[in-house]
Amino acid sequence: MLPFCLYFVASVITGFHVYTLLALTVYGAPFNPLEFVSLLGSLLLLIAACISLFRPYAAARVALIACLLIWSFYAPATANLMRNGFHRHKIVSCNHEYGWDAIPSIDR
Amino acid sequence: MILPFLALALLALVTVYSAIVSFRRTEGVAPSWLFPNAAKRSAQIVVGILILAPLIALSIWLGFGARHESLRSSRFLIPDGYTGWIRIEFEVQGAPPLPVDHGEYTIKIPAEGVLRTSSAEQYGWARDRYYYYSGQSMRPLPDSGDSALIWGKLNGEASGTSGKQKYEEFFVGTADQFKNQPKVKGSPL
Repeated sequence: MLPFCLYFVASVITGFHVYTLLALTVYGAPFNPLEFVSLLGSLLLLIAACISLFRPYAAARVALIACLLIWSFYAPATANLMRNGFHRHKIVSCNHEYGWDAIPSIDR
Repeated sequence: MILPFLALALLALVTVYSAIVSFRRTEGVAPSWLFPNAAKRSAQIVVGILILAPLIALSIWLGFGARHESLRSSRFLIPDGYTGWIRIEFEVQGAPPLPVDHGEYTIKIPAEGVLRTSSAEQYGWARDRYYYYSGQSMRPLPDSGDSALIWGKLNGEASGTSGKQKYEEFFVGTADQFKNQPKVKGSPL
């Protein structure tokens, strides 16, 4: 059950996080295509969690592919966070002309 | 704020774990709690039900909701040549409701740029369209891209002596006009 729990929790947490970022597009934030790729990866990780109950080794390969998809968003976003530092000013305006950036960001 | 870092930590953990499981040799190695074989039949059934039940419930809820909650898009008619902020105030007592034409709200903005209506504000996804009008003729206004003429769309709720006032505002003009407008405190209008 360990692989199932691991894949399932990671899928839900990453999926929910990226979904919240995508939801901000309603308020004018430009969408990043990598967020969609990452969301697809979370879905694939959920499928891997189900497969792990029957075929753990096949599930691990599916999970690895899913992780690569998720990293496609998180890796540049993390690099961007490290580059800009943790003391960046928070954006309070929904007006993208004055603040929103299109580059990947994990903590809008 | 903790969610991104939790997601990152879990993602790193799953990546390492799945990579180890994918590439380790399995011949002659006994299963352990860390690298188990397939789960027991009873566990498979229980987990299958626990996953399928919420998914089916979510599908039913979404399907039911989509049939009963149809968000109308809006067609904004703006006086030809108007430049500046537009404001629409909702749920104003005594004001006329927004007319519905071909399944979408028609919001005809008067020359002063402020429209009051008794209709309620709508929230959610919708494809709104913007037009300059002059008499009976209309021409579309782009609301995205480099040549966009619609900027800074926002909605809010203001409290006053007459109670709470829900409103929506946006700017009509070029990007330069929007950026170079004079900064004022409070409402742009």
